[in-house]
Parts: sequence; structure tokens; C-alpha cells
Amino acid sequence: MSGVVLDVRDAAVHFRSRGGFLRKAAPPLKAVDGVSLAIAPGETLGLVGESGCGKSTLANAILGLVPLTGGRIEVAGRAVDSADRVSLSAIRSDAQMVFQDPALSLNPRLSIGAAIGEPLLVRGLATGQALRDRVASLLKAVGLEPDHASRFPHAFSGGQRQRIVIARALALQPKLVICDEPVSALDVSVRAQILNLLVDLQRERGMSYLFVSHDLSVVRHIADRVAVMYLGRIVETASMSVLFGKPRHPYTQALLAAAPEPDPVRQRAKPRRVLDGELPSPANLPPGCAFSSRCPLASDLCRSERPTLSARPDGASVACHHAEE
Amino acid sequence: MAAPVLDIDRLRLDIGGAAVVDGLSLSVDEGEIVALVGESGCGKSLSALAVLRLLPDAVRLAGGRILLEGKDLASLDMSAMAGIRGRDASIIFQEPTASLDPLMPVGDQIAEALTAHRAISAQEARLRAREMLVSIGISDPDRRLAQYPFELSGGMCQRIMIAIALICGPRLLIADEPTTALDVTIQAQILHLIRQLVAERGTAVLLITHDMGVVADIADRVVVMYAGRVAETATAEELFRAPRHPYTALLLASIPRAGIMPKSRLATIEGTVPPPSSHGAGCRFASRCPLVEDRCRIESPPLADHAPGHLAACWHSDQVATLGAAA
Repeated sequence: MSGVVLDVRDAAVHFRSRGGFLRKAAPPLKAVDGVSLAIAPGETLGLVGESGCGKSTLANAILGLVPLTGGRIEVAGRAVDSADRVSLSAIRSDAQMVFQDPALSLNPRLSIGAAIGEPLLVRGLATGQALRDRVASLLKAVGLEPDHASRFPHAFSGGQRQRIVIARALALQPKLVICDEPVSALDVSVRAQILNLLVDLQRERGMSYLFVSHDLSVVRHIADRVAVMYLGRIVETASMSVLFGKPRHPYTQALLAAAPEPDPVRQRAKPRRVLDGELPSPANLPPGCAFSSRCPLASDLCRSERPTLSARPDGASVACHHAEE
Repeated sequence: MAAPVLDIDRLRLDIGGAAVVDGLSLSVDEGEIVALVGESGCGKSLSALAVLRLLPDAVRLAGGRILLEGKDLASLDMSAMAGIRGRDASIIFQEPTASLDPLMPVGDQIAEALTAHRAISAQEARLRAREMLVSIGISDPDRRLAQYPFELSGGMCQRIMIAIALICGPRLLIADEPTTALDVTIQAQILHLIRQLVAERGTAVLLITHDMGVVADIADRVVVMYAGRVAETATAEELFRAPRHPYTALLLASIPRAGIMPKSRLATIEGTVPPPSSHGAGCRFASRCPLVEDRCRIESPPLADHAPGHLAACWHSDQVATLGAAA
């Protein structure tokens, strides 16, 4: 497909455990198992799911931080090959990442100006005054003062540090920014500032976001389309309004029902449907549909045959044998 | 009306002479869930720890009373407190795996809570632990009792913590961010469990959280803290419907939710929380407040009644409604 910023086709990341003396090799842990998705220029795709569903592994695989065991990932038309350092370096000028905890993403001994300028310096794109000017304009773009460049990360609050991390991610003018839980570690009022900033930056610069989050209210606010992951597979994708207005997969429905709304009247009027049980281990998946062990609609068919994603007229795709019931 | 189970009166906590909690008053009735909310550093968790006298060494309980069914916990010595913790008042924390002993089967940990306070045989205690697991909806209790924390998921560990906290039938349960580390579907299970236990046992719950969704889900009343002081207190419904403190109004408006236009600008609170050492005479929210006037910087507003049970500490609380509409 041409024109897409990110094209993931049937990607798989399996972690194999090595057997040892007196110990049989365990079956591979299928963290990501046959995922396909694409992101258009300027689009935001929200990737949601609970811990252990493989959303962060997928984000890491896109940047070549973990090797693929199957399938193919292309960033701006270039295949990601985690073993090829030269091509990885090219990909990272097109795709950058913002992680959850800004305190852990910044080197405490590097001034923030040096941190933000490093990608430019490493690639020989700017030095001296030109570099300082670029850093100053990046700081301004994320709402910080240019003369803060000489300060160190400890001098900044959590929200400001996340702005610094975003400025660093923007330094190479990437086409895709992967945001892995970018506001989860922040206080509520600061969260709103960072979300506003991400929306503004996208309007100004037109890059795409892969927005990984477990927080549905945040995803509803920022995403154009949403993909829901469960145990390594995508169970539903749809435009934001279709997914939140008419969720089809029973897991999506359960997630939406479980996420408390910050409005007591609406929240208490919601039908209480508490999903039983817990996530099975991805190393030991049930045969058939991975959700069948917790699904209220599960039938014998679900326990024997894995449902595939099938497209619906409104652009949604759902992997469920009983989605219309 | 019966006396409240927990009645905190003008609590003051100091770190190095600066008040980090300054004049906190709140009460929790039997069978009531009161949420204490605020952002990191506002003093909500320290206040919770102060009730059970679990404060870190650097924090001094500098004033106020903490009445648990009429008994002032603030004046008790540590050995008397040990008899209260787990028996009359219990606490559960955010990280259930960090709160459990990794080297002890969870069944023994539940039973230990009982044998510590009651003259009861180990065998009897184990039986009661098993009953407790059944009552909180854990299937296969015998297998669970024998397991170690590392064999259990986060949600299961939090259930075990709840079992330990409630096995002696305390009158008060303090839950400090009990679902923050859990996934939403597991969070829904734990909140459902807490709601159900409160209804069955009439336990008073002080819920510490920063998540307004959790507040909207299970709290009866809400106390909003800002920089060590109470900014506003009201029933949950009233607080969300008609906040009377600008901090509450902006906090609520900053949360993305249904009904807010996607990608529209969310309300923000500019600036940062002032450090305890810089607190002056005025309102602590003055430096960030869009309604600020000269008086706010000079004179601290008292908590004043706006409706029965709805108090806010703001000179301009009649203008707060316009703020929410603009945001």
C-alpha cells in the first residue's frame, strides 16, 4: 500500500523459552500474533488493551526494538529489520517514540538542550548556532522557554519532562510518533496539557500518532481510529465514533462497560456487567478464540475455531463468531 | 443520627516545620464511602497513613484529633495502635504485591491477621480465612490459601489484601488507590467487591484516589484536597454537577469524557502546586486560579456552606459555575 506512514502486515513477535537440563522448552509466548494495521498521514490510531495484551511489544517492534518472528512492518515505505542497523537508523528518523515515564526517558546528567539536540547532532544535521536555534524552536514548540536548554531534567516537573521528551521525539521531524501511555504517569490537570499539546503539534506538523493506552477516555479524545488488542491479536478496529458508539466485540463492550465515567449520574445508570475471570497467560492460550474463557457469548465454535477479522460496511473489522448477537 | 465511625478534626501534619496537611477535617459514617481526592503531593495519602499512625519518621503529627468511634487515635501510643490496626481499622494499598509477604502462603497471612488480635487456634483461623475467601467470591479457596503471592495476579493479590483487611471485621477500611495498579476490567471487579462488602457489613470506607471515574463510580461523598487543605466537600453527585471551588471545576473540566468534542482543547490548570514552604496567608490556589483577586492573595477563604453538606473554600464560589461553562 502506498501513502501509508505505517503498514503492519501479519506481524508476530513470539518469545521462545530455551529448554534446559531436565526441563522441556515451554511453548513460545505469543506476545503479538498476526497483527495487521495501517496508519495514514496525519492520522491518530489508538491502540487499546489491558496489560499483557502485547500493545507495547507491538510498539517496540515497529521501531525494531524487538525482532519480528513473522510478518512485515513498513515505516514510510521502508521495511523494519531489527538486525540491520543502517536501515534502523533510517527508520528512526521517520518514527520516534514517547514513553510513559518521562523521568526514565531522560538522562539525568544531560542538559535538556543536549538531549533534544542529540538526534540532530548524531546525524550531522546541525551543529553550533544552527543546532542551538533548532533546540530553541523545539522548546518553544512544546511550550517551554528556550533559555531552559541548559537546565537538567531534575529541575522540571513531570509534565514539563514529558514536553522535553516530546521535543526530542520531534527533532528529526518524524512522520510517525509512537506514544506509549504518554499521559498515564501524569496528574489529571497536567494530562490535559499534554493531550492539548499533542493535538496542537499534529495540526501544525501533520505527523501520525500511534497512541498506545489503556485509558479509553483518553483514546476517545485523541484517536481517529481505534484498534482493540486482546492477548496478542486485534479483536476489533473501527473509527473512534463507531467503536465507542457501537462496539461489536464482546471484549470491547466489556472494556467500555468497565471503564468508569467521571460522571456519577451516567456511571451509576450504566448496566453493571463485571467481566469474570482474568487474562489467561499468553504462553498458554486457550484454543480457538483467546477471549472464549471470559466471554459471555462463548460457544463450542469459539473454543475450537479462532475467529478472523471480518470487515463491516461502516469500516469496522471484528474478530468474533457472535458479534451480531 | 449516629456518631460517625471516623471523625478527623483539624489534622495537621508537618515536615520540617512546614504544614503538608493543614486543618483537614472529615468524617465517614457507617456504611459510607468517602473519597479523598487530589493530585500527587496534596497530602491525601499522608492523611490516610496518619489515621493508622503509619506516618514516615520525617512527618510529624502536629495537631488535631482522629476519632475512631470516639477514641482519639492521635493520642494513643504505638502499642495501643498495634491493637487497633487490623482489628478496628485496616488499610489496603496501591501495590498489593508489595504489601504481601512473598515468603508466606497467602492463607497463613490472612489467618495471621486473625490470630494477632483474637485468642483463636491456628486451625480455627485457617477455617475462617477460607470462609473469608469464599465470601469475597474467590473460587477454589483451598488451592488459593496454599499459594504464594508470586503465583497470583495483581487483582487476586488485591482480593487477598481485602480479605486480610476485613477478616477481623473492622469498622473502618482505608483504601489508598486500591485499583490504580490494576486493569480496568479487574478494577471493575475490585470496586464491585468493595461496594458489596460495604453494603453487607456496614464498614466505613475512606477511599484515597486521584481517579474521578472511580469517585463517580462508588463514592457517596467527596473531599477535594489542594496543597494540604480541603478545597471542597460535597456529595459525589453534587460535586460533579455543581462544583463550587475553581480547582474542582477545572479538574473536572480537564478530564476527557463523553460529551466533550474529540480533539477539542481540554481545560488546564496553569502553573504548579506551590511547595509547603511557600504557603502564605492567602488562598493556596490563588497563583493558578482564573478567578483570583487581591483579597485571595491576602486572606485565606474559610470552608463555607453553599448547600446542606456542600462546603467550599473560595471567596468567589458563586462565579465558579461560569468557569465550568467556559471550559
